[in-house]
Amino acid sequence: MKNDLLANIRRTAYVLLGLLVILIIYISYVQIFEQDFLKGHSLNRRNIEAAATIPRGKILDRNGEKLAVSLPSKDEKGRFRREYPFGSVAAHVVGYDSVQYGKAGIESSLNGYLSGMNSLERSFGPLARLFGTKTGNDVVLTIDTSLQTIAYQALGNRRGAVVALDPRTGAILAMVSKPSFNPAELSAQWDNISSSKDAPLLNRAVQGLYPPGSILKIMVAEAALSERIATANSFFDCTGSLSIGKDYTLSEDNHTAHGHLSLKEALAVSCNVTFGRLALDLGRNKMEKTFERYGFVKPLPADLQESACKLPKFNNLSDGDLAQLGIGQASLLVTPLRMAMLADVFANRGVMMKPFLVQKIVMADGSVIEQYEPEKWISPANENLANQVAAMMIEVVEDGTGSAAQIRGIKVAGKTGTAENPHGDPHAWFIGFAPADNPQIVLAVIVENGGSGGGVAAPIARKIFLQALH
Amino acid sequence: MEAGKQERKLLLISGLITGSGILTVSFLVKGSLDHATGGTVAGIWLAFLFVHLFLRTTGHTGDPVLLPVASVLTGLGLTLLLRLNSDLFFLQALWLVVGLAGFLGTVVLFQNPGRFAGYKYVLGGIGLILLLSTILFGVDIGGHRSWIIVGPIRFQPSEFAKLFVILFLAAYLSERREVIAFATRRYGPLVLPQPRFIAPLMAVWMLAMVMLVAQRDLGSALLYFGITVIMTYMASGRFTYIALGAFLFLSGSILCYFLYSHVQVRVDIWLDPWKDPNGKAYQIVQSLFALGSGGILGTGLTYGYPKMIPEVHTDFIFAVIGEELGFVGSAAVMLIYLLFIYRAFRIAMKAVNPFSTLVASGLAVFLALQVFLIVGGVTKFFPLTGITLPWVSYGGSSMVANFILLGMLYAISEVRRNHEK
Repeated sequence: MKNDLLANIRRTAYVLLGLLVILIIYISYVQIFEQDFLKGHSLNRRNIEAAATIPRGKILDRNGEKLAVSLPSKDEKGRFRREYPFGSVAAHVVGYDSVQYGKAGIESSLNGYLSGMNSLERSFGPLARLFGTKTGNDVVLTIDTSLQTIAYQALGNRRGAVVALDPRTGAILAMVSKPSFNPAELSAQWDNISSSKDAPLLNRAVQGLYPPGSILKIMVAEAALSERIATANSFFDCTGSLSIGKDYTLSEDNHTAHGHLSLKEALAVSCNVTFGRLALDLGRNKMEKTFERYGFVKPLPADLQESACKLPKFNNLSDGDLAQLGIGQASLLVTPLRMAMLADVFANRGVMMKPFLVQKIVMADGSVIEQYEPEKWISPANENLANQVAAMMIEVVEDGTGSAAQIRGIKVAGKTGTAENPHGDPHAWFIGFAPADNPQIVLAVIVENGGSGGGVAAPIARKIFLQALH
Repeated sequence: MEAGKQERKLLLISGLITGSGILTVSFLVKGSLDHATGGTVAGIWLAFLFVHLFLRTTGHTGDPVLLPVASVLTGLGLTLLLRLNSDLFFLQALWLVVGLAGFLGTVVLFQNPGRFAGYKYVLGGIGLILLLSTILFGVDIGGHRSWIIVGPIRFQPSEFAKLFVILFLAAYLSERREVIAFATRRYGPLVLPQPRFIAPLMAVWMLAMVMLVAQRDLGSALLYFGITVIMTYMASGRFTYIALGAFLFLSGSILCYFLYSHVQVRVDIWLDPWKDPNGKAYQIVQSLFALGSGGILGTGLTYGYPKMIPEVHTDFIFAVIGEELGFVGSAAVMLIYLLFIYRAFRIAMKAVNPFSTLVASGLAVFLALQVFLIVGGVTKFFPLTGITLPWVSYGGSSMVANFILLGMLYAISEVRRNHEK
């Protein structure tokens, strides 16, 4: 009977040892296949702890000015706290890094580099301790803090946004959104900041969606020329209003009759009748193609975190809406960044550059990890037509609605917009570039519910041009 | 002396593993190896060496794998405790030395295991008293109501009770295995053992249910019920006992699930910890984070965040292994247990009489269940139960009891050798 006992024990042993083997296989599932989920889980405090004991990389402007730095904490040894020397001035670009409320801006999109957590050797486990990343990597932005500061001050206490680009490269020189917040005080002020009805956390430069109003006319002008609806020598007649169909009338502001005028003159005085007419002549298809040609349906790189522009459904547009679209109204909504890019086409011989905010990423010892080169994004217009529209934009500033952007000794090209919207007074727009014969800076300025583009936005643009070209 | 040489070699390797772990932690935490720590490790080395030399020079011929396995597991436990809380490190080292003394004493006392069989009711009585004492007089320390305080001494009787219960069951069953195997009665389509042979099983079942309800100790309930059922099966070869046991335990547990909220909470946490990750499921979620953050190779000793897990030095020590030593480390520890349990079953199969066979296999089954329950618990393979990881978790009772268990296995393994000669 002894054999019987041994057989029972053997069977029991197999089952129990098999159970433990299954357990080992299950542990391999948790530690290998589920590790990314568990490591990256938002409730896993390890990442925050690790980040707090490693100095996060600096965020620098193009001249090496510090926008964000980590300094040793006075209260807790071995830990670091984040400081933002420019405070609210560059808040939307730099973003914030809060234990409770997460991250935004560059602090969020380049967190892997800043925290040093995405370094290759991290995946070597304990072997990584031999090389050990002791600090995060620095991020060098394309921002020019002096220009950023001027733009911030120029907007004053008004809600709005400024985007300044280098027309030849697409580098973002300044990106301001107002109202702003101080990233260093975000956690302490969170309730005020997050619940304010002015939405200070919203980066209006890339996420604010506005009707463009008359600034869109530069695109319609180019489309009319390229589609041979009009030429430089075409003339239009404006009686102060345009009747469309039976019951719709497109009017000028104050019902001013502009009379007999060229395309250039029509742009300079921002004649609604002319551009409504041109949109009707172009028709729905060509208008749709024009928007596609200018990249409105093509998304920008994800790290810019833009909101997609809202285009109307072209097939369903009534004639009245089509004419409205010609003057940048109807249901069209765009971001200030996209409008700066639109102006760039005429500053840069018909080529729209891909906008970028990060110049390079460098390790603490100065060696470069990533370097970003300027890139052509799309070429919506040919050089000849782009230069023709640029010449019209010079006229806008020299002898039209944009005269408040004039600078002695420097040729400025631009276009104003006064965009009707359902939220109150019209939004004031200005887009343009300077010097017109050798552009150094291209701008988009919007003041929410600010009133007239020529009266409110153009003077702000002038201040920024002066700083950029001094 | 072949076995003696093997044991020495294996002890040397395990000693090197312990030494390198202690050195790593010392240098990373304090920057140097202090005298107290270095002296303690040297003392532990000497204690193992003394036990080894004493046994081998006095003609003992036990299994050479047992002592080195205990050495490497306690060494790992000490390394982790030094990293977690150096006060506990020194206490654990002290318990280790007490445990080794207990091991030696057991080896000597257990040379003729058969004579314990005669005292089976005394042994069973002691086991029962130890278990009942925690149910009646248990004091809650660190979330477990399994402590007994007698004057200056506090200990966990359930750690020792297992030894007595296994001895009792082995004696009772080896005496009656023929009867238990064949005395059956037919109830319609069911063939069940006669009532008088199911009675002890029912008694243990009731005890287990009381543990589950009164002590909220699912781990001990499962362990003691499991060992009774499995040993009865091993002795009788009748699968009916397993089926009956599983049915009793499941139906009892299901009843408790609906009657008692704390049982419900346990099971719900296990089914979906992500429903309440910051509340009731906090511990298990933190444990899973630790395991996942360790990945394959781990963060390296001292580079993890084990202090985010409550009770990390006792029940959850496996999570630290997973985090800092990675899957490589946790799998290695599991393989060491696998090896040990395999050796224990082997000792059982080669033992000279059914009593010794049942004692050794009982100890093997108990260890296997214990490792399965606690490792399965902290990895969410099984509902969490508060029991220790043998030789690794901090705890004096557990350490000493497991060394006595080791001594029993060692003694049984050498009786066989003597007999073979």
